[in-house]
Amino acid sequence: MRKRSERKAIWRGRASLALRVIAAIYLACIALDGGGCSWPSRGLPRPIAFFTQVSVLFPKAAHATIDYRAEAWVCSRQAWVELDTRPYFPINPDDKENRFNRAMHFFRENRKTMHALDRYLVQRHDERPADDGVDPGERIGGVRMMSLRIPIPPVGSQFERYQRYPLSHYPNHERKYFYHTPESVRGRRCAGGDIVEER
Amino acid sequence: MTIRSRIAWWLEEPVSLVRLEIVRIAMPIVVLCFMWPRVTHATDWLGDAGFRVPDLGDDWRQPLYVAPLPAWAAWSVAVAMVASGLSTAAGFKTRASALVFSATLFFGALSDRLAAYSVSKLSPVIMLALAAGPAGRLLSVDAWLKRRRDGKRWKAVKPSGAVRFLQLLPVTLYMASGIAKARNDWLHEPLVLYSQIHGSYQTPIAYALARIIPSWLWTLLQGTVLVFESTAPLTFAFRRTRPYALVFGLGMHAMIGLMFGPVVWFALLMITLLAAGYLPDRLLDRLKV
Repeated sequence: MRKRSERKAIWRGRASLALRVIAAIYLACIALDGGGCSWPSRGLPRPIAFFTQVSVLFPKAAHATIDYRAEAWVCSRQAWVELDTRPYFPINPDDKENRFNRAMHFFRENRKTMHALDRYLVQRHDERPADDGVDPGERIGGVRMMSLRIPIPPVGSQFERYQRYPLSHYPNHERKYFYHTPESVRGRRCAGGDIVEER
Repeated sequence: MTIRSRIAWWLEEPVSLVRLEIVRIAMPIVVLCFMWPRVTHATDWLGDAGFRVPDLGDDWRQPLYVAPLPAWAAWSVAVAMVASGLSTAAGFKTRASALVFSATLFFGALSDRLAAYSVSKLSPVIMLALAAGPAGRLLSVDAWLKRRRDGKRWKAVKPSGAVRFLQLLPVTLYMASGIAKARNDWLHEPLVLYSQIHGSYQTPIAYALARIIPSWLWTLLQGTVLVFESTAPLTFAFRRTRPYALVFGLGMHAMIGLMFGPVVWFALLMITLLAAGYLPDRLLDRLKV
């Protein structure tokens, strides 16, 4: 019978080999992902492939500075008013690492997520209104979400440092709307309909 | 010598474990600084207080749907993350701490796609490498306890697959990133770098540079970065070119950190990997205690 220390050494060797193989596969997947090869994302389970998708950083030229904004449908005024989403997304509120920006970046064309975002914003304003630009006493019936496509100034030109301006600062042609709460839903909510029931 | 035996020799060659300790000390601090806005809003991040992307089934943008945690569980994960991160940096129960830290980081990245970036994806893997390797043998509470207990020290130089992995990781990232850049706009759009320094990432330094650097210099910098990244496996492999590659890499990440606001944590993560992996041995020897 092998001694215990020998068995331990054998298992240690096997574990070491297994770790080396895993490390080699991980590094190969990073390299393949950068090369545009879809094997890692097709061959690995999605939660694992996710951790290999780290190398494609700033690969394209930006043609505009993108910012995402929202407006709320104020029931009493029957009008769209800018809704500051930052109080409801408090992690990194002032830059594009904010979760609202990220939700719009990844999921702006996904209806299910946009509906969930719509319900979240309306519910948060109506239940626990923060300093979001809409009077806390005002009920909102829905939201309208858009991207701002702010032109990049030519090299060598004089321009202002980036800062967040109210929506009214930006001309209509720099706004691109992705989602708005359907009129029928806005009407129902403004009439006192329960938002949770829509789920 | 065949390629296979050369790789085996390289893997089995004794290396300074100070390299591992640099990552063990600096990386958790960098990662916790990156995570801090998330940790302090744990219920918005992992819990049911904030917005959650619904279960999208087979959508590629959602690697895994993780249901929101109740407030107590979200705070527990946040506390475990901070405690294990600090414990790893201090070198107390190092490997177990690194394993717990890694697990909380994996969970955080998968639970909330919206707050996950390159740091979120790389850091759990790096912590796993620390847990698998002989981390905490130098400059650590564990090393101090061992000295007090039996008057001995661990070896400061020995073969370590973890060190080799941490050396290969930045080089692989550069190469892949360089290829991705070349496949996209970096070879035919002359102002990719300039186009990226506007918007909410813009720091005062980025703003100042955007106004004074001429167009040709942006293009030259862009080309230099592309060449550096694409050729990294070679420049870091050869002893003669390694110091130049290291200095360029450190300088590049310093500029990224200074010019891209929140990207500073990614820059510091890469600086840590480069310094730990490629600082000359004679400098590392001074750190041995």
